[in-house]
Amino acid sequence: MIDQFLMGLSVVMQPEILIYAFAGVFIGQLIGVLPGIGAITAISLLLPVTFYLDATTSMIMLAGIYYGSQYGGSIASILLNLPGTPSSVVTCLEGYPIARDGRAGMALFVAAFSSFVGGMIGVAILVLAAIPMTSIALRFGAPEYAMLVVLGLLAASLVGTGSQLRSFAMVLVGIALGLVGADATTGYYRFVAMPELADGISLVSLAMGLFGVSEIIRNASNRTRTMTNISVTMRDIIPTRTEARSLLGPILRGSTIGSFFGALPGTGAAIASFMAYATEKRVSRTPEKFGTGHLPGLSAPESANNAASQTGFIPTLTLGIPGDAVMALIIGALILNGIIPGPRLMVDQPLLFWGVIASFFVGNVILLLINIPLIRLWVLLLRIPYQKLYPVIIVMICVGVYSHRTSVTDVVLTLAFGIIGYLMKSYRFEPAPVLLGFVLGPLLEDNFRRTMLIYRGDFAIFIERPISAVLFACTVALIGFSIFSTIKTYRRNVQTRGAHER
Amino acid sequence: MLRNLIATLPLAIALAVPAVAQDSFPDRSLRIVHGFGPGGNADTVSRIMAEQMSQGLGEPVVVESRPGAGGTVASGYVAGEDPDGYTMQLLVGGHAVAAALYNSLPFEPVDDYTFLSTIGQFPFFLAARAGEYESIDALIEAALADPGSIVIGHSGVGSTQHLTGELLGLETGAEFIHVPYQGGAAASTALMGGEVDLIIDTGTVIRGQADAGVYDVLAVTSAERWPDSPDVPTLNETVAEGFDVISWTALGAPAGLPENVEAALSAEIQRVLAMEDVQAQIAALGASPRGSTGAELQALIERQIAVWTEVIDTAQIERR
Repeated sequence: MIDQFLMGLSVVMQPEILIYAFAGVFIGQLIGVLPGIGAITAISLLLPVTFYLDATTSMIMLAGIYYGSQYGGSIASILLNLPGTPSSVVTCLEGYPIARDGRAGMALFVAAFSSFVGGMIGVAILVLAAIPMTSIALRFGAPEYAMLVVLGLLAASLVGTGSQLRSFAMVLVGIALGLVGADATTGYYRFVAMPELADGISLVSLAMGLFGVSEIIRNASNRTRTMTNISVTMRDIIPTRTEARSLLGPILRGSTIGSFFGALPGTGAAIASFMAYATEKRVSRTPEKFGTGHLPGLSAPESANNAASQTGFIPTLTLGIPGDAVMALIIGALILNGIIPGPRLMVDQPLLFWGVIASFFVGNVILLLINIPLIRLWVLLLRIPYQKLYPVIIVMICVGVYSHRTSVTDVVLTLAFGIIGYLMKSYRFEPAPVLLGFVLGPLLEDNFRRTMLIYRGDFAIFIERPISAVLFACTVALIGFSIFSTIKTYRRNVQTRGAHER
Repeated sequence: MLRNLIATLPLAIALAVPAVAQDSFPDRSLRIVHGFGPGGNADTVSRIMAEQMSQGLGEPVVVESRPGAGGTVASGYVAGEDPDGYTMQLLVGGHAVAAALYNSLPFEPVDDYTFLSTIGQFPFFLAARAGEYESIDALIEAALADPGSIVIGHSGVGSTQHLTGELLGLETGAEFIHVPYQGGAAASTALMGGEVDLIIDTGTVIRGQADAGVYDVLAVTSAERWPDSPDVPTLNETVAEGFDVISWTALGAPAGLPENVEAALSAEIQRVLAMEDVQAQIAALGASPRGSTGAELQALIERQIAVWTEVIDTAQIERR
């Protein structure tokens, strides 16, 4: 493996290819920063360029845009509470409070560094374990996905600072919103009030509205003009030694979780980042600090989503199976170059296969190198007074949302979700669980009904298949643990009250 | 001075434009609208055509994606545009399916269009895991012997792939379980993982696994064997005589296009389709580049609407 990896590295180190690798990650980074405009728009615009490039160079550039945008996505999330993708929603939860505290530079540094380590661990797993990971991924059928999503939904209600009951209620709201559109099993239209909603509510609308627009409304109603005391000296950007040491565990746990989920086609980075977040909150000795700008809560999901965006290439490269829409585009570029992606890619096109993997390694280094100096520049953005900054952002959000489906309805919905998000915050309901429910609800429904179709309504299948059974056991254990700890706290309260009365 | 010049500019343009417009189409940019996401098959074909047609027509041809509701959002939009030739639509096989599947559409699938030409035609292939079934006959036999034992994964309810599977059941009398996935790639993963027994999809989805020996390609849905895979038998010659399903990409425009405009566009499309580069690009997408007259395209669409209407009725698929 290592030999082949070095061979791939020699491919990437050719100046011409290196330039395209750099261009890819740089464009990706910039695109990721713009709210609402994702890698998919950038890649589809650049697809015609690949007619004139060879397959390896095109793949390296397009892939660079993909994982580069993951880096960029965290910047808008931290500075402005604008999650470009579902995977950066949890980045908002911790990163934005840190930025409001005047330490945006440090949040960006921690995010960039965690992303780097996560990305590198993802690449390492891609090099060493692509084949075994592939066979594990193939053992995930409908029952396994259904159980995995149940576990994910449970984790989703752990995300959020307030009461778990409120979080859980918001998860249900998200699931309800996810029902809009054509039913995947029968094709029947549900809650389709207008033809534009036939494919469901746009995820970008929902995320931009509930997070970004609502935050802008909230700030507009405040008297403050800019964020106070923004520091951009190098000393304030780099975390202290104690802080740095506290991040080692979260980064390693996040990377492991991310690497695993990334390799499963279809679930990928979105589940990875908040599973990492929920895990951190569970293992933390200070869970109450989450949601208030807690560094481990920022670095774990950041490492997770970048590890996932690297291992996400496992099914794409080893099987020719795209894990998501962006991967499908990248595979499209290969097809246009006359290469049919499939299991033979590694054998027939070793230079392409290993060249692309080696480019991830190089790309992550480039990203870290361009990110650190840019931190100062990003933070200075926050010195722009709100009344000048926000109109620009609103326009950019509208353009970004519109560019996804060329739909004015989506733009109107984004603004409506902004108002709803503002009201939710005023009554202390959190938007993050809504988004997670929205992403996971349809996944659960599809896979559950698929299971029922294939196994003819036999519920026992969930505990007959080993992986599914393990996931089921984890879910039960997690519920049991929650009930147990609630009872324990309740008893303790009763006892202390009893002691007082005596 | 400069201000005066600029002030007269609109007048100059206003005077110049009608003079050109009378004897030459086109005199401004054209659009190819399609109803699918950026980067998909429809988008790529649109871009290939747009790039070459820009050069032939001497005006830019812009691709516009208006995705939604299986392409019907774009169709409703195009059908309402002026029939002046400046707005075209890239249509796919799903257009005939939509006509049969939807209860009410904001357009007439045939009457609202001036059909121009097909661009590419492609069949679907039936694939199973290597070694599981010796031939398509063996698979149908197994399905007939134990109804419901064979699970077909398809790329979404109401997709052409899904309806082709239903049609196979109707024609052979075999009873299958049809399971929807989010797209062909997900269905292919399920076949590899052993969750389904058969998939019906385009060459681009199946060929990678077939070349690697992971899948056996059991049959093709076109009436004749397909040129790029002459060893694959047709359903027509094996288990279902008369079986003929192909999908296609084509260009159309709103109904009532002036004759000279229609002729100009058709001629340009045929010129582009004759180019070797374009043929190679369309072939890379798994289709045979094939032009046609507008009347041939209309006949193809009408025939397919009839077939899909019958399949949807008989298989009792929920209409939208």
